[in-house]
Amino acid sequence: MKVERRHAEPEIPTASMADIAFLLIVFFMITSVFSVTRGLEFQLPKDDQDQATPDSQEEAIHVHIIPAGGGCVFEVDKQQMLLSDIQIYIEPKLARNPNKFVIIDPDPDAPYRCMVDAFDELKQAQVKNISIPTQAEKAAWGGVI
Amino acid sequence: MKIKKPKRADSLIPTASMADIAFLLIVFFMVTTTITVDRTRVALPTSLERIEVPKDAAVIAVEEGGVVHFSDGEEQSRVINMGDVLPAAAFVIEKNSLKWFVIKADGNTEYQHVDRVMEQLRQASVRNIAMLTSQEEVG
Repeated sequence: MKVERRHAEPEIPTASMADIAFLLIVFFMITSVFSVTRGLEFQLPKDDQDQATPDSQEEAIHVHIIPAGGGCVFEVDKQQMLLSDIQIYIEPKLARNPNKFVIIDPDPDAPYRCMVDAFDELKQAQVKNISIPTQAEKAAWGGVI
Repeated sequence: MKIKKPKRADSLIPTASMADIAFLLIVFFMVTTTITVDRTRVALPTSLERIEVPKDAAVIAVEEGGVVHFSDGEEQSRVINMGDVLPAAAFVIEKNSLKWFVIKADGNTEYQHVDRVMEQLRQASVRNIAMLTSQEEVG
């Protein structure tokens, strides 16, 4: 008598594949963080340029940042003005000399965001030469500023 | 005569493509995920002008109280003393003189903390700096 054997169909179990995949998705979703990768570009001077900078300060526009309450007061060439007015003040000077230097001089206890606000405002005004001297540099320059 | 009832097809939800969809999502997350070297929580200042910072830049994070975190762009950031920024930056610049440094400072921190960081970066002959900001809302 001929015995008939029944062969089981070979197959790869894929039922749990979706579970594994979704588990991985959840892992990536939880561990992913949206990092901020944008900011304001700033180039520090080379050492040999340091000596030349103080001589050109007299003609520069001086933006002094003074802390006041939670915010700041901006003094441009010793005139107190609003942040939005700085651009108006600078534009005619820049028209005469596009390479005009602008020095940002924040007080040590002024909030950092005020310096960024002033820097951003000057960038908006297309100022090419922005200088932010450190306290040590200012001390080295003496009473130039 | 007995009428035979039509055989009902078994109802089922097709799940064969589920794994494909899920793997597509995984690939998306794997491609878009970037491993951040610094996870310091700071309230960034805002600005309208913003440029893209190179991904391998060294990061100096300054918390509101003046605590400094440093990363060379490859390893995770660690807390360092304010006075140790100079040797750490000099070590990085020795390997790559054009390395970008990102200052990720809290907007409310006193400027003197950032000033001290900048002074040390200048002494370490760092040229390229970016101050990390978030997008300013117009209006």
